[in-house]
Amino acid sequence: MTGDPRLASVKDWLLSRKPELADLDLDFDLIENRVIDSLSFLEFVFFLEELTGRELQATAETVNAFRSLHNIQKEILNGSL
Amino acid sequence: MSQTSTRTGSIEQILDRIIGLSVDTYYNPYKTFQWPDELPEAQWWMSPGLMTVAGTPYAEELSEAQLMALSKWESIHFYSLNVHGIRDLVLEVVKRIHTPGFEKESEFFHHFVGEENEHMWFFATFCLKYGGKIYVDKKASWAIDSVEPDIESLLVFARILIFEEIVDYFNMRIGGDETLHPIIRQVNNIHHQDESRHIAFGRELVKQLFSQLAQKYSQEKLQAVDQYLRRYLLASVQSLYSPAAYRDADVPNPYKFRTELLEHPGRREHNAKILKRTVDFFTHNGIVSEQADLR
Repeated sequence: MTGDPRLASVKDWLLSRKPELADLDLDFDLIENRVIDSLSFLEFVFFLEELTGRELQATAETVNAFRSLHNIQKEILNGSL
Repeated sequence: MSQTSTRTGSIEQILDRIIGLSVDTYYNPYKTFQWPDELPEAQWWMSPGLMTVAGTPYAEELSEAQLMALSKWESIHFYSLNVHGIRDLVLEVVKRIHTPGFEKESEFFHHFVGEENEHMWFFATFCLKYGGKIYVDKKASWAIDSVEPDIESLLVFARILIFEEIVDYFNMRIGGDETLHPIIRQVNNIHHQDESRHIAFGRELVKQLFSQLAQKYSQEKLQAVDQYLRRYLLASVQSLYSPAAYRDADVPNPYKFRTELLEHPGRREHNAKILKRTVDFFTHNGIVSEQADLR
């Protein structure tokens, strides 16, 4: 995990909703492993929007940006999605 | 076994009745509405008691002008949710029309898809004409789970029913609020009239699809359905709280505002009231095992 406190916040948010998980690797597939599912996705988008201070383009085409902590860091926290 | 082969006559009676009503009460939506060029900004766009600040100190602390602005953007958000929700449900019904298991329902599905398409048109027209936009749909658009087709069908029609019942709660109240602009009342009243048929059908179909699953699947599978639907009920009511609408109404810190509203006891009461009829239906029929926890 990098030292970006925003990424640590993302990880904390996800782990708080999946207490059975001890940790999340950067490349762990959050969707495939149902850490995020269709019913929690909207709340996750709002959390990330508040964290980044901007509206996100959450569409079928951009779903991979939400797929792992690594992608979130690259595409959302440090990117322009 | 066909999904319809074990159904009782009640769904057939309902289908006969609502298809007849669809034909007899058919209207041309493209000629029904006399859309004013614009609506006054300084008015209530929805009943104040239906806004997401109702039952919280914000209903008193915000000025009337701020509340009216919020009522406008919450209305545009509500109608945008309708546009997106209808698109999703039409896609699911079209996937099933004239497929095995839905032989009896397919005649009604033609009316359903036609009516829902028209509802989507008048909600979109309202948003574009008076809000200048349709709020973007940020719900997850990927397939939720790989579940058995008959479980998926139950979840699809349960989601449609939950969506329609929540919307109808608002339609009935907005349509009956004589302080609101006539075009706002008309849009909601007409939608309510059509949705009454869709809800009657949806309740019967969900009951019967579930009774088939209950005979076929383990308690573990049924509990997963129960858990999913309880989460869906909660997610549906939470989707009414829109940071984008709060931002457009110039509410500072819209995400924090949304979180505060969702955590407020007054809002939990309102959320429970919005969902009561629906939760009662699902619990009464043993589909959802307990009152949904709306916290």
